[in-house]
Amino acid sequence: MLHLKKADIVVIGGGASGTMAAIHANRANPALKVVMLDKSRLETSGAAGRGMDAINTIVLPPYCQPEDFVAMQTKITEGVLDQEVSYAYAELGPQLVMELEQIMGRAKGDLFPVDDTGNYHLRYVQPVNKPMMLYMDGADLKRSLAKAARATGAEIHDRTPALKILTEGGRVLGVLGFNIRTGDYVFIRAKAVCLTAGPAGRMGLASSGYLSNTYEFPGNSGDGYALAYEAGAELVNMECYQALTMLKDFQGPACGFVAGTRGATSSNRVGETIWTHPYPSGDTRLGTWRTFAEGKGPIYLHTHHLQEEIIRIIEHIQFGTERTGRFLFHKRRGQDYRQPRCLELAFAEEIGACGGHSSSGVNSNRRGETNVRGLYVAGDVDAGLPYSFLGGALAMGGVIGEEAARYAAGSDWAGGNPRPWAREEIHEFEAPLRRKRGLPTHLVEFKARTRLQYYLKPPKNPDYHEIALWWMERIRKQDLPEVKAEDPHDLLKAHELRSILTVGEMMARSSLFRSESRWGYQHWRVDIPEKKTGWNGTWVSIRRGDRGMVFEKKKVPPYRWNFPTAMEYSYPRLSFDLGVPFQKDSSYNNPLGDPWTKGRMERARGESKKSRQTRKRTKS
Amino acid sequence: MKAKNVKPDKPSYSWLEIDRKKCNHCGLCVEMCPMDVLRFGSGKVPYMRYRDDCWYCDVCVSVCPRKAVSMNDLPYLIR
Repeated sequence: MLHLKKADIVVIGGGASGTMAAIHANRANPALKVVMLDKSRLETSGAAGRGMDAINTIVLPPYCQPEDFVAMQTKITEGVLDQEVSYAYAELGPQLVMELEQIMGRAKGDLFPVDDTGNYHLRYVQPVNKPMMLYMDGADLKRSLAKAARATGAEIHDRTPALKILTEGGRVLGVLGFNIRTGDYVFIRAKAVCLTAGPAGRMGLASSGYLSNTYEFPGNSGDGYALAYEAGAELVNMECYQALTMLKDFQGPACGFVAGTRGATSSNRVGETIWTHPYPSGDTRLGTWRTFAEGKGPIYLHTHHLQEEIIRIIEHIQFGTERTGRFLFHKRRGQDYRQPRCLELAFAEEIGACGGHSSSGVNSNRRGETNVRGLYVAGDVDAGLPYSFLGGALAMGGVIGEEAARYAAGSDWAGGNPRPWAREEIHEFEAPLRRKRGLPTHLVEFKARTRLQYYLKPPKNPDYHEIALWWMERIRKQDLPEVKAEDPHDLLKAHELRSILTVGEMMARSSLFRSESRWGYQHWRVDIPEKKTGWNGTWVSIRRGDRGMVFEKKKVPPYRWNFPTAMEYSYPRLSFDLGVPFQKDSSYNNPLGDPWTKGRMERARGESKKSRQTRKRTKS
Repeated sequence: MKAKNVKPDKPSYSWLEIDRKKCNHCGLCVEMCPMDVLRFGSGKVPYMRYRDDCWYCDVCVSVCPRKAVSMNDLPYLIR
């Protein structure tokens, strides 16, 4: 059944950004009607569904100033940055911490640590000499945000992913959603849409082979990227891959921030240190790649040397926040943080795209506006604020809520009767459900994601990227028309396959388009292993064209500050001395031609002909 | 030899266990599971309807008011 509704603002995705967008939209203008669509359940969905233990990147004077943050971001993005967005977020730090204390009902010093002088106490994590990380006792974060979002009176549709954003003449008209439990559809005519649907976290498949063995929340299958692309929005930096160091098999954080900032160390098999900071910028990834390439893996996180009190603190955080299944994971393997080498880390087991842990996504300005009128983005789907983690998602979520409210108050609903369009979309979407037989969704997903992981994993090989494109096209053309969905829940899986393939194509084509290497490991092309000045301060911009994806070079807005744009690394020259191989004397070459096999082939053909003639005679 | 029919709401392999005696059928675990893994089965007791969508986040365990849900292990491919 298709329900038609009307709202001033639709928020797609109820994670950290989405809930903040709803809260701020209501605060900015309580008269507006806000509808929120969440694929999951508002209280537990998204990356912060089980809470979070820190805001990894935030600016709080006197520890650091907004300009310090812009300098840090200019450095880690190697100059491919809109500094105005970076500065806008940096200025919101003090407001954000106070707001979170208020939303969660926590006093100063309870939710976040303060120092002896009463200032919020920041830690060092980034590759700069300024602290920008704030610990947080945030196990209840998401439940509090959900409670506050529900209290605004927003109409919240749980289990209802968005399938399509309807646009006309470069502006949003509404959103089509689908309830995976009831199988009902809803079209919400809207003036503004806040897109906060998370990263593309279900791309490359980890070696365990378990489809939900993802670092990101597995509901984040890149739908946000696909929705924005289909709506005509511009995406950038899709070639700056997310490639993380993670707890092997668990696919959870490597504990670099939790344990590393509390004294834990890491080294490879032979005891060498891999990185000087744990930030997921291109330099640390490149160093990690080298350790494995040199056969010095695995990397171990060492906690056994820490005081018992510190180990207990690390356990308290790791087992009670964010990815709490870690307790059982260690317990069943007999691992203890008090033992040496108990934590094995792996690298780049799942290649993906994320604005929060890297810099890929929908391009936006400091107000979260995109090139599509009425469409705003924030959080991991947003590339406007790279490496923004939870803090960026929360703060920019609030920004787009306010901006969308301002825009909606000054505009009107547009478009005619959406029913015919919606029916057409629904008919196509439901095709896998109508089939009597076909390919199971999980098999097609397994095939797509194993191919993506194999061919896209850096160092980037142009031939491999072409082969990845061949695979995605083949799966799209041959397999998707054969997919069979069992029920509405499974139908969503079939739909997500399209997002995975769209994002994979963006990643591969952007990587081929950017004719240089940059961001260390994240865009290291083995055929062009150096930065090119022609690409300085330049995005690869992707938009939807009449005949597929359109790519172009696009300059970032002029810098306000001329901060350094280089990181401390250089690309290696791949050269392996294997000695002198066996030299064969030319007189020992095999002869050309193969009369022996030829004779057998002719004999087999003769026998086959004779047999056919015998059968004919018998029949007649 | 014929395989015995497996009842869909009693999967032969599951890493979640729901104590049928303790469960009061409140449905909190079904409602709160972020990946929509759980659904009510026979006797209105939840089971892992979409087992392989589980992110092993243990929300179901944490929200159960009767401590009827226990996660005994992680998925086989991960553990």
